Amino acid sequence: MSYTEQQIAELVQPTRVHRKVYTDPEIFDLEMERIWAKTWIYIGHESQVPDKGNYFTLNYGRMPVVMVRDNDDQVHVLHNRCGHKGVKLVDMPCGKIPAFRCCYHGWRYRLDGKLLGVPHMSGYEGTGFDKDDPQYSMQKLRSESLRGFVFATMNPDAPDLRTWMGGAADVMDNLCDRAPEGEVEAAGGVLRYEHECNWKMFIENLNDTMHPMIVHRSVVDSALDYIKTLPEDSPRRDEAEIIPPFGASYEVFEETGITGFRYGHHYDGGKTSIHADYTIDPDYKAAMLAAYGEKRMWEILSFNTHNTLYYPSLTIKSAVQNIRVVRPVAYNKTVIETWSFRLKGAPDSMLKRTLLYSRLINSNGSMVGPDDLTAYFRAQEGLESPASDWIEMHRNFGHDEQHADRVVGKGTSDLDVRTQYGAWREFMTGEAA
Amino acid sequence: MTTVVTSNERIRQIEQFLYREASYLDRPDLDKWIELYTDDGTYWMPAVPDQEDPHLHISLFYDDRVLMEVRRRNMTHPAAASKEYTIRASHIISNIRVEALDEATGNCTVTSNFHCFLYYRDKQTPFAGTYTHDLVRDGDSYKIRSKRVDLINCDAALNTIIIYI
Repeated sequence: MSYTEQQIAELVQPTRVHRKVYTDPEIFDLEMERIWAKTWIYIGHESQVPDKGNYFTLNYGRMPVVMVRDNDDQVHVLHNRCGHKGVKLVDMPCGKIPAFRCCYHGWRYRLDGKLLGVPHMSGYEGTGFDKDDPQYSMQKLRSESLRGFVFATMNPDAPDLRTWMGGAADVMDNLCDRAPEGEVEAAGGVLRYEHECNWKMFIENLNDTMHPMIVHRSVVDSALDYIKTLPEDSPRRDEAEIIPPFGASYEVFEETGITGFRYGHHYDGGKTSIHADYTIDPDYKAAMLAAYGEKRMWEILSFNTHNTLYYPSLTIKSAVQNIRVVRPVAYNKTVIETWSFRLKGAPDSMLKRTLLYSRLINSNGSMVGPDDLTAYFRAQEGLESPASDWIEMHRNFGHDEQHADRVVGKGTSDLDVRTQYGAWREFMTGEAA
Repeated sequence: MTTVVTSNERIRQIEQFLYREASYLDRPDLDKWIELYTDDGTYWMPAVPDQEDPHLHISLFYDDRVLMEVRRRNMTHPAAASKEYTIRASHIISNIRVEALDEATGNCTVTSNFHCFLYYRDKQTPFAGTYTHDLVRDGDSYKIRSKRVDLINCDAALNTIIIYI
């Protein structure tokens, strides 16, 4: 079937969504056109292309694109296809090149995408072909960077990046402010984790605070059970601070709160989060104190969020300094990338903890992520049943506080999912600015 | 690297030890598997080829005895949804090379190639790569001070790896 806008609008209601938003490949195709090609999508961090000629490839929605640093030190996001026959120009995850050169007929492009040369040009003389016609160059996406985090959009009418992020930009700023030098850089590689579920199931779990005590009980029990066998004077381990908070009570999560914004963004935490009680490395504290002074340092370190979603493609943990990137593949397949970040000016122990966190919580071999994924793929398969067409999202409906630029609720509110589907409906029906 | 020439008997002992370790992962029986490791033993699965460091680069696994103990408990915890499914594996180890041998202690570094089929949740997944075992002599047998598992596709987008390979 083909959906009318009215039919799409009816799939999302204030307290429920229709199961077809997860199970229908046609809805997935429409999402790629109307959400993923219309809003700001996270591409990568500028530190992934540190030198002139460095490039990084990815799929933007389903379109191959490349982030590249040109000879003037400008970072561009270009469609990764030759202006001649559409061949992908670079096909490695990353690399360094003097210019783009197509592997098929040798067309060459400057690092900013401009077509430089076509072999044996004489055959084109008098044919009407104009090498300088922009249509034959690599096409540029509109891109913007916020503190090194590069986003792109196909939508000329999208607001500027910071306006689009709204109050959720505070968390991106906080992640970078946690560096004594005020800047972060991608470090320690990437984990890529194939999820056999719809992309929305992953992002709907980020601020779902009703699941950790169920889904992650086993790893928390196992860790606590082992810790009990250790002598009391055993050395402190970061694992013992990272794993147990995943088993925190409903009351603890209730206190953390959730805040939602326009365009589908939200975070949980603020005053406190499950990352709030980590021991502060004394060398890191000294570097922060020297950089910011006592008052500003504590302002930065006491803003504790858990997961922040920049709908639909990026989720960050400012207090941990890792991010996860959503790369949808099909209605029932998504690749989640985990990247870790170095706080510039901080001791290596901080990066080491970030990477420990990424490995313990987000790795394919971890004892946390695979239990989340089990819930997602069971939902993906369960929703094939027509027993009911609707998935409910009532929790705290009508009790969230509406503010001018945000909506704030208790930590277990479904306001995060309602915020996402508000944006989903606007984009999918063409109401979004 | 040059392979250290060593006696047939020594090679046979090492082979038998590696096969025994693999058989505990085939079943899987983590209670017995953990006992093959020294107290400071580690299990490492890097996320890129030739990875030099387990701490300042991400890995798929890097477990010391503490995390092995947590994982052993988690594997049989009734609330671990991802562990409800049958897990069975079949490991084949070959191309065993003794890369370094301390004649005085009998401690050695052994590399081998492996193929492992892992059956999990109605799906059979092949894994292949190279093992590097640092073995310490323990009576007539060995213990593992470190095991490094280099998958040939370690940097691909992989699904869950539910158990040690």
